[in-house]
Amino acid sequence: MDIQLLISGVIFGLSIGSIYFLTAIGLSLCFGLMRIISLDQLFYYAIGAYITYAISVYSGSMWLGALGGLVAAGILSFVVERFIFLRIYERDIAFTMITSFGILIGGVGIIKAIWGLVPRPVLMPTLTQWNILGTDVPLYRLIVVLIAALVYGGIWLFLNKTITGKAIRAGIEDVEHVEGLGINVYRLFTITFILAGTLSGLAGGLHAPLIMVDPNMGLEVMPFIFMVVIIGGLGSIKGTLISSLIVGQVFSLGAIIYAPLAQMAPFAIMLLILLIKPTGLYGSKLLKR
Amino acid sequence: MNAFRWWRGILLAFFLVALIRVFLPLPFSNEVVIFSIYVMGCSFLLGQVGFISFGQPAYLATGAYATAFYLFYFGTNPFAGILIGIAAGIVMSLIVGPLFVRLRSDYFALVNLALAVIIYYMMQKVLAPITQGDNGLWFLTNMKSTPILDISRPKEFYLFAFLVALGVWALYKYLNDTLYGACCLASKINEDKVTFLGYSNFKIRLLAFVIANTTTALAGSLYAIYLGFVSPEMTSAHRCADPVVVTILGGVGTLFGPLVGAFAFTGMKDLISNLIGNWELFIGFLLVFIMLAGEKGIWGSLEPRLARLFTKRA
Repeated sequence: MDIQLLISGVIFGLSIGSIYFLTAIGLSLCFGLMRIISLDQLFYYAIGAYITYAISVYSGSMWLGALGGLVAAGILSFVVERFIFLRIYERDIAFTMITSFGILIGGVGIIKAIWGLVPRPVLMPTLTQWNILGTDVPLYRLIVVLIAALVYGGIWLFLNKTITGKAIRAGIEDVEHVEGLGINVYRLFTITFILAGTLSGLAGGLHAPLIMVDPNMGLEVMPFIFMVVIIGGLGSIKGTLISSLIVGQVFSLGAIIYAPLAQMAPFAIMLLILLIKPTGLYGSKLLKR
Repeated sequence: MNAFRWWRGILLAFFLVALIRVFLPLPFSNEVVIFSIYVMGCSFLLGQVGFISFGQPAYLATGAYATAFYLFYFGTNPFAGILIGIAAGIVMSLIVGPLFVRLRSDYFALVNLALAVIIYYMMQKVLAPITQGDNGLWFLTNMKSTPILDISRPKEFYLFAFLVALGVWALYKYLNDTLYGACCLASKINEDKVTFLGYSNFKIRLLAFVIANTTTALAGSLYAIYLGFVSPEMTSAHRCADPVVVTILGGVGTLFGPLVGAFAFTGMKDLISNLIGNWELFIGFLLVFIMLAGEKGIWGSLEPRLARLFTKRA
């Protein structure tokens, strides 16, 4: 394999991994704190992409569109949390999973009703190519990686340096103790859910120029998000980061070696890791359900 | 509760299904019967063993494609095709089962869904030379008519599918009454106590997994023979929720739930897709509504009333 192909493959894998990370972190955080599996994150991902498309067509700026998509996804997740999830936090995990799958499928229906079935292109904000070790690399992919790194840093700071973040981390360990300390855990739940939805929207907005936006994009990316979450272990942020990097690289380097391998190879890796460690790389053993 | 003895229940339910055949069009009743077989496996997993599986289409496609391969490339006998479909279901669930049943229920659902999508990609892209990708395999004309019950014709196929559904239903009814069924329920409710009683959770779950997914594969091969073609579409991510939706619609863990659910679901699908084209929107909100309204489903909320009615008369 020649070196240029390898470098562009690695950069491609990094950018895909960053987008997987941004979406998977929402699922992972929601599971860690609220013990729900929030499949509707993929709906916010698709909404983020579609708002990006709508605004960038209207104003001509994709960055403005991504910002709009992020805000819209945040608002939507707040509404869904208020009206649906607030009633079912106490319930069994299978219950929330089915409900959120209902929201996801209904959301796909809404998108189809508004924007129709046809896939739409979103314009690339920058076509500049940077030269790295003799290989031309699209600047946009590097920006995506940079944004994901900034988000990871921001989440780390939020969880470790602010009172709310510390409360969320304590909640991941033991929600009842946090409630016993007089902290309103439902407010923490709302904050976490909005954070998760916003990040999913951001991921959708950033992913939009790289692919076409179409109503089923959430369902298409779903298996890969699942693989990221399963390999990393539900509820762990570090695990999500590492596994999204692994899945991104396997996806892109697998495609270079043998094209149909791209979709299969991450699955093989997932099975291998589950064989060795049934809870994923960094999953907690404490949960029994 | 004696009023609802199983033989009375079975007669009643299948009398109703036979009644459907008289009053409703044939494609609809075929669809209902096959769908109810499909859902029975998922209902057993969800209600009796406590495994929620979003990946049932994976096993459906396994059965369907095994049958299709046989009928397209090798043979002509649809019954042999069904047997091969069942065998493929057993093999498939024995391969993935030991891996999957060790997982906690949340991981189990995610892994199954991933499997369904992988099989979709496999059938659509990787194995495209054999499966002909999105075009699907057409083998309706390859099937030879069989002597006693000619299942290549829709009318007699209905009779056959009906008998199979009856058999599968009776099997699950029997399982529920045996010690094994009790073990399944016990491992759903408290796995530690099952271990203390000297049973192996792993074995109980593996057996349940194999039984349920073989049923699903059987439904898949029935689909293949009924439609005369298979395509990767049947395992796409949109269809993944269908069995779970129907299970919940009918009532989780009840024996008639799958029947009632399949009937209601297929009926609504036909009625509503005539009115609005946007089927996903409706199904999604129906799911959310049922979950918020108390997750009992149609049969689950009907059964106590019927039971009371029957005891009064008796």
